[in-house]
Amino acid sequence: MAERMSNREGLRGMANPARYGLERVAYWLQRLSGLGLLAYLIGHIYETSSIVNGKVAWDKMLELTQTTQGHLILTLVIGMCVFHTANGIRVMLGHGGIGVGKPGQPEYPYDKSQRSATGSLNYKQRLCIWVSIALAALAMMYGMAVLFGD
Amino acid sequence: MRESIIMKIHYATALGAVALVAIHILFRMTQNFSESLQYQNVIANYHLLPYALMLEVVLILLSVHGFNGLRVILLELKQGIMYEKMINYGSIGAMAALIAYGSRTILMAGIGMS
Repeated sequence: MAERMSNREGLRGMANPARYGLERVAYWLQRLSGLGLLAYLIGHIYETSSIVNGKVAWDKMLELTQTTQGHLILTLVIGMCVFHTANGIRVMLGHGGIGVGKPGQPEYPYDKSQRSATGSLNYKQRLCIWVSIALAALAMMYGMAVLFGD
Repeated sequence: MRESIIMKIHYATALGAVALVAIHILFRMTQNFSESLQYQNVIANYHLLPYALMLEVVLILLSVHGFNGLRVILLELKQGIMYEKMINYGSIGAMAALIAYGSRTILMAGIGMS
């Protein structure tokens, strides 16, 4: 019983991005960005609903959101959105068997290009994770230039 | 519904949302960002029927995708008959509430009730 319970780490286990390498970090970032984007969606729908109360209410809401803090949050949302999209497409392709390589028994001497001894993803999938992170960083920089360039 | 079908819906809503959200963002880039958020410009967007319909579709796609994603995370966290039922029905309820609230804004702003 105690051993069974030790495997149930719950929220703390889910929130830990370490231990399983880059794949785990991508899994963790995908969930974290998903939760962040859902929170933003709810906030965005609430924020835009102020338009039905007329110009004064809309301008008041803009005063709250069109600030430096508001723009920083929006920049973070842009980054989360781009990473979630790019990594999500990678996951979809992976579920379809695209880019995961052929399964094989790891035999000595291990083929490092297959990453069979260090992880379950091949180099194409691992590269896609890095590309997703890079795209998110680029989009955030572009977003900042647009938001703070006004 | 089988989880495999739900995952297909999850992926389809994701791909649809990516395309439509790109159009939604491009609408903000047609002019200076802060200018595009002025009251008259936003109301004009809602009065444009194809754009309003697109917003409604985006709202549905993102709500379904978002709350299904949350449901998956919560089901990964803990299992149990009562818990799973609660999460499944709770997600559908939250999804419906968000769609209803967002649709109200689109409808009221679209027909000029603001």
